[in-house]
Amino acid sequence: MKILREIYAYRQMIFSLIKRDLRGRYKGSFLGFLWTFLNPLFQLIVYTIVFSNIMRAGYEDYYLFLFVALIPWIFFSTSVIGGASCIWAQKDMVNKIYFPREVLPIAHVTCQLVNMLLSFLVVFAVILVTGYGINPAAVFYLPVIIFVEYLLALGLTMLASAVTVFLRDIEYILGILMMAWQFLSPVMYGVDIVPEEVRPVFAVNPMTPVLAAYRDIFYYKKIPDIGTLVRAVMFGAVVLIIGVLVFEYLKKHFSEEM
Amino acid sequence: MQTGNAIEVSHVTKSFKVFLDKGNTIKERALFRSRRRYEYRQVLRGISFRVERGEAVGLIGQNGCGKSTTLKLLTKILYPDSGAIEIRGRVSSLIELGAGFHPDLSGRENIYINAAIFGLSKKEIDTRLDDIIAFSELEEYIDNPVRTYSSGMYMRLAFSVAINVDADVLLIDEILAVGDANFQAKCFQKLKEIKAGGTTIVIVSHSLGQIEQICERSIWIHEGAVKEAGKPREVHPVYLDYMGKKRECIAQKEAARIAEKEKNSANPKKQEPSGEQNDTVFEHNSKRWGNGKARIIRIELLDKNKKKKALFETETDITVKLDYKIYETVLDAVVGIGIFRSDGVYCYGTNTRLDKMEKYDLEKDGTVEIILKNIVLMPGSYTLDLAIESETGIPVDYWREAAVLELYSTKDDVGLVRVAHEWNFILK
Repeated sequence: MKILREIYAYRQMIFSLIKRDLRGRYKGSFLGFLWTFLNPLFQLIVYTIVFSNIMRAGYEDYYLFLFVALIPWIFFSTSVIGGASCIWAQKDMVNKIYFPREVLPIAHVTCQLVNMLLSFLVVFAVILVTGYGINPAAVFYLPVIIFVEYLLALGLTMLASAVTVFLRDIEYILGILMMAWQFLSPVMYGVDIVPEEVRPVFAVNPMTPVLAAYRDIFYYKKIPDIGTLVRAVMFGAVVLIIGVLVFEYLKKHFSEEM
Repeated sequence: MQTGNAIEVSHVTKSFKVFLDKGNTIKERALFRSRRRYEYRQVLRGISFRVERGEAVGLIGQNGCGKSTTLKLLTKILYPDSGAIEIRGRVSSLIELGAGFHPDLSGRENIYINAAIFGLSKKEIDTRLDDIIAFSELEEYIDNPVRTYSSGMYMRLAFSVAINVDADVLLIDEILAVGDANFQAKCFQKLKEIKAGGTTIVIVSHSLGQIEQICERSIWIHEGAVKEAGKPREVHPVYLDYMGKKRECIAQKEAARIAEKEKNSANPKKQEPSGEQNDTVFEHNSKRWGNGKARIIRIELLDKNKKKKALFETETDITVKLDYKIYETVLDAVVGIGIFRSDGVYCYGTNTRLDKMEKYDLEKDGTVEIILKNIVLMPGSYTLDLAIESETGIPVDYWREAAVLELYSTKDDVGLVRVAHEWNFILK
C-alpha cells in the first residue's frame, strides 16, 4: 500500500520518462512522430500482400487474423525484452538518487502500451476503410483485455528487470525465449490447428487467452467468452504478484550490484 | 520514533561484498565460482545517531569512514544489513545533480524531468518554475537545448532544481562546489534560508568551515561508528588533531622512505663533477626539486612551549623548524617559506633575502627556525612550501607541500585572515 502511494507521488516522473522515450524515438527523422502510425500501416500492407498472394493461409482475411494478435504480441514481447535492461540502463540514476524503483518498469511498459494503442488506431482505420465491420458490444471488452495484458507484461518485466541486474544474460536469453514463446502462442495460427499433443502447452500459456480475446473482439467480432476472460485475469494476477514479490525482494540490493 | 526527531539511526550495520574479480554472467557464475572470490568489508559497525527536526548536522570523517554510505542509507539508495533508519517527511538529496537531464531537450523541459525525479507533481513544478529559473540565472538560455550549456550553467540549473524541491529533510554531499564564487555564495545563502524555514539538513563535507557556518552539530564518524558528536567548534579541533597526528605518522614514514632512497642514490651524485651542479637535478617531481647541494631532512611544527604539534590555535606563535644536510657548500643561501590554504590560495610567502637578512653560506648541516608570530590566518587546513635557494634564485631544495598546518579557533568570524579590530559605538 505504501509503495502504491509512493508510486502515485512519483507519477510525474513516469509521465516524463514516457514522454522522453516517445519523443526521443523518432527524433531526427524527417517524418518524426508520424512513423508511429506509418510503421504498423506498412507492416499491415506487407502482411496483406504476402498472405493473400504468396503464402495462402487457411484463414479468411488472414492479414487481419494475424495483425490483431501480432500487435498485442509485439507490445508484450518488446515490454519484456526491452524492459529487462530498464534498471540496468539507468544505473547512474539508481546509484545516485532515490525514487521508487518500480517507476522504471512501469514507465517502460506504459510506453509500449501507448505504442500499441496508437497501432490499434491504424487497425480501426483499416477496418473502417475496408468495410470489414465492427461489433461495438465486443469492442466494449477491449479495455478489459488491454488492462489484463498490461498487468501480465508489467509483472514479467518487473521480474526480468530485477533479475537482469544480478544476471546480465537474462536480457539475451529472453530474446530467444520470446521467439519460442511466440510460436507457442496463438499469434500466427489459432489453437485449433495445433496438434493435440502440443495443446497442453498452449493451455498453460498465459498469453493464449489474452490473444484469443483480442482475436474474438476484432476478427470474429464476438464477445470473448467469459471463461477466456477469467483465465486471462487469473494469469495476469499471478504473474504480476510473482513479479512484484521478486522485485520488492531484490530492489534493495540494486545499487550494490551495479 | 520520538517526536521532535526528524531522523533516527539505530545500530545500523552495513557490509559490502568486495569482489576481487567480478562477473555477472551465467558462465562466470556457474563455471568460475571460485573466481568470483569476494570478501566482506564492513563499512558501518552499529552506527547510531538522531537528528532533531530543523537541525543541521554535519558528518565528518576521513575517507572511507562510512559517512557517504550513511548518507546513501538515509536516501534509501542502500539498505542496512541490520538496525533501523527512520525518517520523517519528504527527503531530497543533493547527491547527484542533474539526474535524468536529456541533452537535446531545453532547459525548461529538463527542469520538469529532473524535478519529477525528485517526486514533484506537475502542479508543484509549475509553481516553482519561475523560482528555479530565476535562481539559476539562466533566463536567456532556458529554452535552448541543454547540450549547448557550459558545464557551469548545467550545474547551476541542476542545483536550482534540487534546492527548490522544498523537502523536509535535505541531504547534501559535497555540493557547495557549484559554479563561480558568486553562485556559491548564493547557494550558501539559500541553504541558510532553507534552514531558517525549518528544514532538517544533513551535510557530508570535508570543508569543516562550511559545516561550522551552517550546522549546529557535527558528527565525527570513525571506522563505521560515531566517535564524537557535539558542537562543531568542540568536535572539529579534536578531529583535526587526530588527523594531524595521523598525517604526521604518514609523513614520518614518507621521510623514512625518502631517506632510504637517498642513502642508495646520494653517493654517486656527490661525486659528479662540480662545475655543472646547477643543472644536476637529483630529484625532479611535482612536489620537490632542486640541485641537491643541500637537503631539508626534517620539518617540525612547534608551539610556544616547543612542543611538536600539527594543530594550532589562530593567533598563537608557531615555530617551523627545519633541519638540513649539506652535501656541498651553498653560497649566499636563501631560505624561504610559503603558506597556502587547502584550496590553493597563496596566503603568505617570504624568504631571507626579502627580509634583508645578512648573506650567509651553508657549509655544514644545521637547523633553521622560522617563528610565525601571532598567526592571524583563519581556521582551516594549510600547507607549507619550504625552500633553500642559492643567491641567484637557483633552487637547491624546493619542497612543495612540505608540511601541513591546521588552525582552529573558538571564534566564529569568517574570511582569510583575522584583521585586528575594535568596535566603537557612538551615540548621538
